[in-house]
Formats: sequence, structure tokens, C-alpha cells
Amino acid sequence: MKIEILFPEFCNLFGDMSNMRYLQKCLPHGEFVETPFESVPLFVTETPSLVYLGPMTERTQERVIEKFRPYRDRLSQLIDGGVCFLFTGNALEIMGDYIEKEDGGRIQGLGLFRLYAKQDMMHRHNSTFLGKFREEELMGFKSQFTMAYTDPDYLPFCEVTRGVGLNQGLKTEGIRCKNFIGTYLLGPVLILNPPLTRYLISLMGEEHPTLAFEAEMESAYQERLRDFHQKT
Amino acid sequence: MKRNLRFFFALFFAKGTALVLKLIGRKGTSMPGSWAIILCPDFLGRMPRPKTVIGITGTNGKTTVANMVEDVLSRCGYDFVCNRSGTNVNTGVASSLIANSTFFGKPKKDLAVFELDERSSPKILPYLKPDLLLCTNIFRDSYKRNAHMEFILDILEQYIPDSSRLILNADDLLCAGLKPGNQRVFFGIDRQPGDKERCENIVRDITVCPRCGTALSWEFIRYHHIGRAFCPSCGYASPKASYRVTALNEQEGKMAVTLPEGEESFPLLNSSTINVYNALSAIALLSEFGLSAGEISSAMSKLSISETRYSEEEAGGKKVILHLAKGQNPIACSRAFENIRDYPGKKAVILFLDDYFDAAHSVENISWYYDTDFEFLNDPNITQIVAAGARHWDVCLRLLLAGIDREKISHTREKETSPSLLSFSEPDSIFILYDVYTIDLANQVKQATKALLEKRENENEN
Repeated sequence: MKIEILFPEFCNLFGDMSNMRYLQKCLPHGEFVETPFESVPLFVTETPSLVYLGPMTERTQERVIEKFRPYRDRLSQLIDGGVCFLFTGNALEIMGDYIEKEDGGRIQGLGLFRLYAKQDMMHRHNSTFLGKFREEELMGFKSQFTMAYTDPDYLPFCEVTRGVGLNQGLKTEGIRCKNFIGTYLLGPVLILNPPLTRYLISLMGEEHPTLAFEAEMESAYQERLRDFHQKT
Repeated sequence: MKRNLRFFFALFFAKGTALVLKLIGRKGTSMPGSWAIILCPDFLGRMPRPKTVIGITGTNGKTTVANMVEDVLSRCGYDFVCNRSGTNVNTGVASSLIANSTFFGKPKKDLAVFELDERSSPKILPYLKPDLLLCTNIFRDSYKRNAHMEFILDILEQYIPDSSRLILNADDLLCAGLKPGNQRVFFGIDRQPGDKERCENIVRDITVCPRCGTALSWEFIRYHHIGRAFCPSCGYASPKASYRVTALNEQEGKMAVTLPEGEESFPLLNSSTINVYNALSAIALLSEFGLSAGEISSAMSKLSISETRYSEEEAGGKKVILHLAKGQNPIACSRAFENIRDYPGKKAVILFLDDYFDAAHSVENISWYYDTDFEFLNDPNITQIVAAGARHWDVCLRLLLAGIDREKISHTREKETSPSLLSFSEPDSIFILYDVYTIDLANQVKQATKALLEKRENENEN
């Protein structure tokens, strides 16, 4: 099982690499390949079990889009073929149609999903999030300069229970297309959500997924959920 | 900007507010400045500034450095206005200027020293136009407020006035690259024993050349991206420092510094690397202001690091140490964890990492735990870690992921009673780590810990 971690030197703004360090504990026999920005991604020549990309700065987003542009069709082929992808934070935006800057200028995305994002650099959005994913509670945190826009019910990753979806008016969060998961939830999203992690590992082909430090992870999850319900 | 009726109305209202606050016994509030800016949004631009303004900004260390600079200036006989008792945002600066102005707003003093929040630069720097501006360093900080370092760098780049003379950290490539057109001097610490070839930290905010994008080569790395680097492709490199710590002598409590005027020995107030940087940056700033090395050294010999940030006490034959670990700031906490690891003897640690406000009203975004080097606490000389507060299970999980044995970890939601979980037989010192907003709680826990230690000693004696 190969797991590709894209550009860990840049795309790790909010403790996001912990997702992969945690998966390594859960999948001790997995081969985790870190692809630096100057290298050709592994997914171009091989079919990894999971491709991970974390959040990045706005200038890095532009570089990553250009880096991926020659591999657009390959990405599309892998998504259609059911390869697992996990894109967190603003990484999702590079797969959309465009990112609109504050001055109205547009950065053309890869156009793989019908979605666009609008930047507002002086008003950072911060929120806690509670949603439903496959009938299980999903929690997380958002901290972003953009909101994303798409049609209602277009490939939702999860439903919003409390908090903000892709934008203030949408009751769904992220994009789910086959085994591609893109979500604005950032940071240690897998460590925060044992049900999601179990599901992702099973999608990657592990028949009996076991989680590292499962008891503590579950207790932390339950306590956080309790606080979410009581305080937010 | 000219003073207009709106400005005078805001000024008089703010002065009235300050008077009322004084009469009811409230000090150090930024309320007068808040009112002034509400009533006149460009108040800072219209308020006459003192003849010379010194600004101190950066991610970490600015409070310590500002306090140090102010103490040295006071001891050298300077009279100045500062925001030490207020806040480091625009309202705090406005309050200080109002408090130190005549009825019509003319400054009473010719010199101002302001600690300035880097995120608030757009609301302060274009108006205040510091003559000298020190930037201690640039790191990732609170995700909510500061987003990422590129965002903060862009703000500083845009709003630092071209006229400000800069004092920058040569060992921080992010900081050193600020406003290349401005007059500048750099400070840095020469390679020291313990500096490394490879980064031990989770976070390193600059890895490639800012000019050409090639992966940087490092002469040495001290922590995170602090060190000396060069680009093997285009020759971009850490700048040469005019103010350099060349040697540290912990036993004698001294550090040797090379300045443009020659070499001088300065007191080593605290041997942790961040405090050496803090002291060095203060020396560079004061020297650029015009004080001689001898004056600075003599005044510094009478200073100590603020007790609200670090204090040591003894009880029952053991040390109880309060150590600030600024919450939601992965770098500050990582430095604190490394300090604990490097402190002599066996240690136990109590962690209060919850954000005070989030713990009361929300669920804290704990992503920053995973940019923080809890791995430094995985050390044979750290005998026990007690995690206390709303997110105690999350801290416990993070400690486990750092490779720390389950047997060493205790955790509880109840912060006040956390010392009762300590096992006192092994450690020589007990560290209590706390956030800026939990000083009272930390003091309460310190007293409880000391009481337990003293009780234990009495029982042993009997």
C-alpha cells in the first residue's frame, strides 16, 4: 500500500501532516512517499492507495495549480478509477474552476469540479464545525480566507449540523466524488474523527482497519462532541 | 494629517473617559484609545507623535524585549511614553499617546517606545511611522488571527514605512528579507555548541530560496527556521549581522557581543536561546538609538526576565517553576518544551494548554498541538506529565503520538486539583506551563503544588 503525501514542505500550515503521521501508526506496513514540490508526483506514474494534499498559502496555491495542470487528465482518470484522495483546507480549491481574488482577477483552477472560491483577505473566517458523514458525527475546524460556491447538492462530502458549509448559505461541506474527499476542515481531521479514519482506511483496501491509540482517540472524540453540543 | 473638530471631540471624550477610569481606580485599560478611534477612525494619524518613536514587533519575544528596552532607557535617565501597561494594538497605542499628551494633544514627552502587534500593522504603522523598528522574528502563530507567515509578511511589507530604520534578525530569513529598500542592521548569534545540521522541529516555515525557489542549504539550524542558510543556485544567503553574540558563558552569566563599536560583555539574564535573542535584539535597538555598549551593559546588569513569564521557587526541597507557554502558538510552546527537556535533573510537568476563552465558550481548534513539538517531552528525565483542562484527552492523545509512555501520563478535566495527580518521589523540579490568560490559575496551582510538597516533607521528617 503506497500513500503519497504531496508537497509536505509547503502544504502543512495547520498541523495537517499529523494526519499522515497518524496513518503511519495505523498502517505500519504502508509505504508513505513524500513528494517534494520539484519532483514529479508519484500519482503520475503509479496508482497510490491514497493521495494527500494539505492547506497552503495563496501564492503556493497558484504554483500548485500550475504544477498540476499538465497532470489534469491523469488526476481525472485516477478519481474516476476510485483512487482515494484526501485534500484538506484550501487544497480543494485547486480542483475547482477558479479562485476569485479581491481585485476581481481570477486564477484558473484545474476545472475538475464545478466549484469556485472567492478570497477575502481582510476577513478571515474561523469556526467550529459539526456535520454528518455516513450517519456518523464529523467534527472539525475551519480557518480560511475564502468561501467556495457550487450548486446545492453538488457532490457533497457531508451535511452541516452546526457551523458553515462550503459557504454561509450552503448546508453541505466539501466535495466527495467517488473516493475523492475534499474538505475545508483543516488540521488533524483524521485524528479528530475516528469514524472517518476507519472508513478511509477501509476505502484504501484495508479489510480490518484498526486505529492507533483507539481508546484515547475515541474518548477525546466523545469529549469534544459533548463540548460541541453543550457550548456551541 | 491635520487635526480637525472630530479629532478634538474624540481626544476630549477619550481624556474624559480616562479621568473617569482613574477615579474609579481602573488602570492600564485601552478604553480611552478605543473611544478615540471609534469617534475618529484616523485618530492615530491626526494625533501628534513624539519626536522619536521606537517600535518593537515580531511574532515572539516582543513583550520581553520591549520591557527590557524600557527598563534600560529608564535606568539611563530617559523619559518616554510606552504601552507597557496597556495593549499592543492600535487602541493601546492611542491610549498611551492620549495619556501622555497635553489638553490639546501635544506630546508631553519626546520619546515613545511601543510594543506593536504585527497583525495590527495596517492600523498603526502608517500613522505612527516609527523611526526605529525592531522585528524580533516571524513565525507561524495563532491560525485564527495570523493565518500564516506569508500573510503577516505581506502586511509588514506593505505597511512598514519606507522611512523606518529596521533592526532585523539575521538568523531568520523570513524576518531578514523584510523591506529590502529600507535602512537596516541585523543581529544574530554565532554558531554555538548544540546547533544542528538538521531541523528537529515539526515546523520549518522557510525551506526554499525566496528568490529562486531552490531548496536551501543550511550552515546550521538552531530551531525551526532559525539558523544560517544559503541558496546553492543563486547565492541568496542569511545576511551578515552587525550585532553578534560570539560566546555564551553560563557559569559567569555573561555573553560576549560584537557591535559596530567593538566588543563588549553583557549580562546573560537567562540562558535559554530565545532569551539570548531577546537580549541581543534589545542591545542592537538601544545601540542604534544611540546608547553606548557600556551604558546598555551596565543598565542590563540590574534587570531580570519578568516574573510573569518565568519564575522559580522552592518547596519541600524541590523547585516549582512557572513557565509561560503562549497558547495557540506552536513555536512558543515548542520552545517551552525544549527548555523543560534541557533543564537539569528529573522533571514533572503540568500542562494547561486550553485557550481560556475557547474553553469557556466553545471547542478550541487544537490543530496547533500537531505543529508543536511535544516530542521534546519524550525524555527519560521527564518522569511525569499531567494534562489538565477541557481538552485533556486530546493532549493525552498528542503525548501518546509523541511516543511518551502511557504510564507517564496523567490527565484530568479539573485544572485546580491537577497537582494531586503528581507523583513527587522522582522529580527534582515541577514545571507548570500556562497561557497568558491563565496566570491566576497557574499561581493557584503553584500554591497547591507547594503545599503538597511541604506536607510531604513534614511527613517525611516526622
